[in-house]
Amino acid sequence: MQLKINGKEEEVQLKVGNITELLAVKNVEMPEMVSVELNGEILERAAYETTLVKDNDQIEFLYFMGGGCVAWCNA
Amino acid sequence: MSTKFEFETRSIHSGLERDELYGATSLPIYETAAFAYQRAEDLEAVFAGRKPGYIYSRINNPTVAAFERRINSLEEGLGAIATASGMAAIATTVGTLTQSGDEIIASKSLFGGTLQFFNEVLASNGIKTVYVDPTDIEAYRRAFSSKTRLVFVETIGNPKLDIPDLRAIARLANENNVPLVVDSTLTTPYLLEAKKFGVNIVIHSTSKYIAGSGQAIGGILVDLGNFNWRNSKSELLVAMTRQAGEFAFLARARKQILQNTGSCLAPFNAFLQNLGLETLALRMKQHCENALRLAEFLKTQDLVGVNYPGLPEHAQYQLAKEQYRGFGAMITIRLGSKERCFEVINRFQMVKQLANVGDAKTLVIHPASTIFHTYSEAEQETAGVYPDLIRISVGIENIKDIIDDFEQALTGR
Repeated sequence: MQLKINGKEEEVQLKVGNITELLAVKNVEMPEMVSVELNGEILERAAYETTLVKDNDQIEFLYFMGGGCVAWCNA
Repeated sequence: MSTKFEFETRSIHSGLERDELYGATSLPIYETAAFAYQRAEDLEAVFAGRKPGYIYSRINNPTVAAFERRINSLEEGLGAIATASGMAAIATTVGTLTQSGDEIIASKSLFGGTLQFFNEVLASNGIKTVYVDPTDIEAYRRAFSSKTRLVFVETIGNPKLDIPDLRAIARLANENNVPLVVDSTLTTPYLLEAKKFGVNIVIHSTSKYIAGSGQAIGGILVDLGNFNWRNSKSELLVAMTRQAGEFAFLARARKQILQNTGSCLAPFNAFLQNLGLETLALRMKQHCENALRLAEFLKTQDLVGVNYPGLPEHAQYQLAKEQYRGFGAMITIRLGSKERCFEVINRFQMVKQLANVGDAKTLVIHPASTIFHTYSEAEQETAGVYPDLIRISVGIENIKDIIDDFEQALTGR
């Protein structure tokens, strides 16, 4: 499907079609710290599994906490 | 994959990134002011929040971030922000939650520095503090108004050593759509699982038990992720939820308050305090064990009074037992007169007299003539300070040596 991600038009292939998959497919940095805005609305993290994206959706990946990478030990 | 390790394990491993360059297993100290980017597009993206990254150490820093992640892991929070000192953590938290015209409800029984911040800084900036007896839930209930923006208590009053019923206060605060902010410096993440009791924001002066040896000053605030900022009475916070969702508090705290007021934690201090965390559990166990033994010894001495939450006669002994993994390591004694206090303090040989707590070294101070010296006797008494009171921060020396020094200082033999 066609998606506008961080301002850029992209063709993305998804199987499940939810935000969680999109984060993985797009290799989004620090998925545990990223905020996702879908069509101008900020999503709750708890909704990433259940929210599906559709053709022509606009998605912004935003970081508010400041930098940092994935912890070595996922604890 | 997320395996939840136990506290002690997380305190050693959490937050540390794999060192891709050399495989180092100790936290690198990024003693740098700023961070360069090859491409202008990348720095633009980082500023816009579209790409994670570091800009300037006043905003965030990799060494400090590792410390924040470790504390966040120990408190099981949503995120943590480190600051230059415990007072900076309090100031940043209050700054995030309030504006001129607002009110806060606070325990009467607070550290002198916090009282000064509320009374001298906030008051003149139009923020009113309504003080309550921390152990009287009805007093809190009466104190709420439409202007209340937070409730603030210390886990163990300093130096009154009174203990608030966190669950009850949290429930009341949340009924009023107001977060409960708790200063857990004297308990640390080890003795108090703040989130479990409904605390919304937990603050530590990391200069104390977390640093461990009185070597560095720092602070931290943690959003425990259990307050819905969309229901906040602060319109600035609600506005932030539209951009940052559940990160609204942390986003405003870091990007609007901390970034612009500037009380950032130095990278080297973050390194030292991160190191301190690795032995926090071990040290807190020893601190608590030593404190109980010292308290029991002090009860056999010729004193007007001995106060320690771990003594069964303490008014909140049961509550402390339910809420905390240990009774902490703060004791106060009353000696009958200021003169006797000074004589005793002057005789200590190993125990140190200084303005700090939560050090590996046993410390004493006479609060009335020092920390609380700008307050009247009546004001001091409200906070649990008396002219004949000595505050003891029990360290982790061998308990025999601690007791011996107290015995000779008290008796003059």
